Amino acid sequence: MTILQQLSQAMAAVTAQARRSLVQLTNGQRGGWPAGQGSGILWSPDGLIITNAHVVQRRALTATLPDGRELPARLLAHDAARDIAALQVDAAGLPAIALGDSRALRPGDWVAAVGHPFGVAGAATAGVVIGSGPDLPEQARGGEWIAVNLRLRPGNSGGPLVDAGGRLVGVNTLMTGPEAGGAVPVHVVQQFMHEKIGR
Amino acid sequence: MSPLLQQLSEALAETVETAGASVARVEGRDRLPATGLVWSADGVIVAAQHTLERPEVRVGLPDGRAVPARVVGRDPGVDLAVLKAEASDLRPALWAEPEALRVGALVLALGRPGARVLATLGVLSALDDGWRTPQGGFVDRFLQTDAVMFPGFSGGPLVDADGRVTGLTSSGLVSGQNLALPLATVRATVEALLAHGRVRRGYLGVGAQPVRLPESLRAAAGQDTGLLLMNVEPDGPAGRSGLLLGDTLVTLNGQPVRSLESLLAALGGDLVGRRVPARLVRGGQVRELAVLVGERSE
Repeated sequence: MTILQQLSQAMAAVTAQARRSLVQLTNGQRGGWPAGQGSGILWSPDGLIITNAHVVQRRALTATLPDGRELPARLLAHDAARDIAALQVDAAGLPAIALGDSRALRPGDWVAAVGHPFGVAGAATAGVVIGSGPDLPEQARGGEWIAVNLRLRPGNSGGPLVDAGGRLVGVNTLMTGPEAGGAVPVHVVQQFMHEKIGR
Repeated sequence: MSPLLQQLSEALAETVETAGASVARVEGRDRLPATGLVWSADGVIVAAQHTLERPEVRVGLPDGRAVPARVVGRDPGVDLAVLKAEASDLRPALWAEPEALRVGALVLALGRPGARVLATLGVLSALDDGWRTPQGGFVDRFLQTDAVMFPGFSGGPLVDADGRVTGLTSSGLVSGQNLALPLATVRATVEALLAHGRVRRGYLGVGAQPVRLPESLRAAAGQDTGLLLMNVEPDGPAGRSGLLLGDTLVTLNGQPVRSLESLLAALGGDLVGRRVPARLVRGGQVRELAVLVGERSE
């Protein structure tokens, strides 16, 4: 195999792995394409799901799991400033995502995002980390972010950003340009979970 | 999981870190700072001219220090400025051999608008002959990338897979296009600004527009079009050399003059103070006249 074939296979494998923990979130309004769609991440085998606060907006949601099951999702916690929300579905034995180290990310690191941009289920985009931390340019909101050089679109919100090892490093949140976006670092999500859920 | 993708990721991050040691922050405006590239260890830093909006400039060095810097000179023609920072032990950027550049090769665009270096990834999209900017400057080679110009990246380098600089990016060259300046242009501008504090350009003191020559004169003139002088400053270089309103300039110093752009191209800094031949059409005849070229003030 050429190095390009090996790289291509590795990228496809990382993407496939991230998709196994990807959830689709809808607000129950059928047919209103693509209204009310967002992405979520399976955080624990017993049904904890992480997404963006702006995807949830305190409404009742339906979660479509990677195995196709559609389950009602209950809002457990919510933080608009950090744009994180935690949901619960009644299920067990789910393929939770492996967590990475967002503090170790460096500019230039390869990353991939999966989600449902414009309602296209499980779509992938890949690129590199532009930078991360609290002092990124043109960052209206406070707090820590990861700036990424890939193509985020509406519907990517709440989906996983994974590193070259397929581990979760961020929650995709917004597009800041055609080829640039922002994600909430996974260590910020871990702090949120510790504070709000106690785990 | 394949280690190959992680190796790729590490190689990209290492390249950014290595090249980032020559990338500085340039604080020359009230809004977001921009970027500059270390030219020499003694504190010479190249920046994008349009990002310097105020006289006091500070430079954030890769090691975290922030020091004052003096603006040595500016060349708006190619959107470059040379700064002299109060520092002496900087790491100059390593430039790639110009012959090694290839379309489609991997490039990273680097910037340092904040404390740390930032990067985007793309390829070298286009590589072509020299071109003239809308501001009248000449760029030795056309370099374009699809790498995203993140806010504050102007003045930063485009680096190759070896971490060597292939060009200096600026969003101020042509708006909406991700273009970079090649080494030859940056070097010529830096040397001129360090030597004279300015980039010299020739000046005639005329206003002109392109016109077609009468068919009967095309063979004698050696071309189909020329520049009709609509205005000649009486005390300008052209006026004192005897050029008149209504003359049609055809060549200057042997170079065809078919448009305003070609006239600007012919008026290089090397002509300043020299008497050069001008061919023109006057009263239905082709003539030659010697013109003493002046220097354009900024």
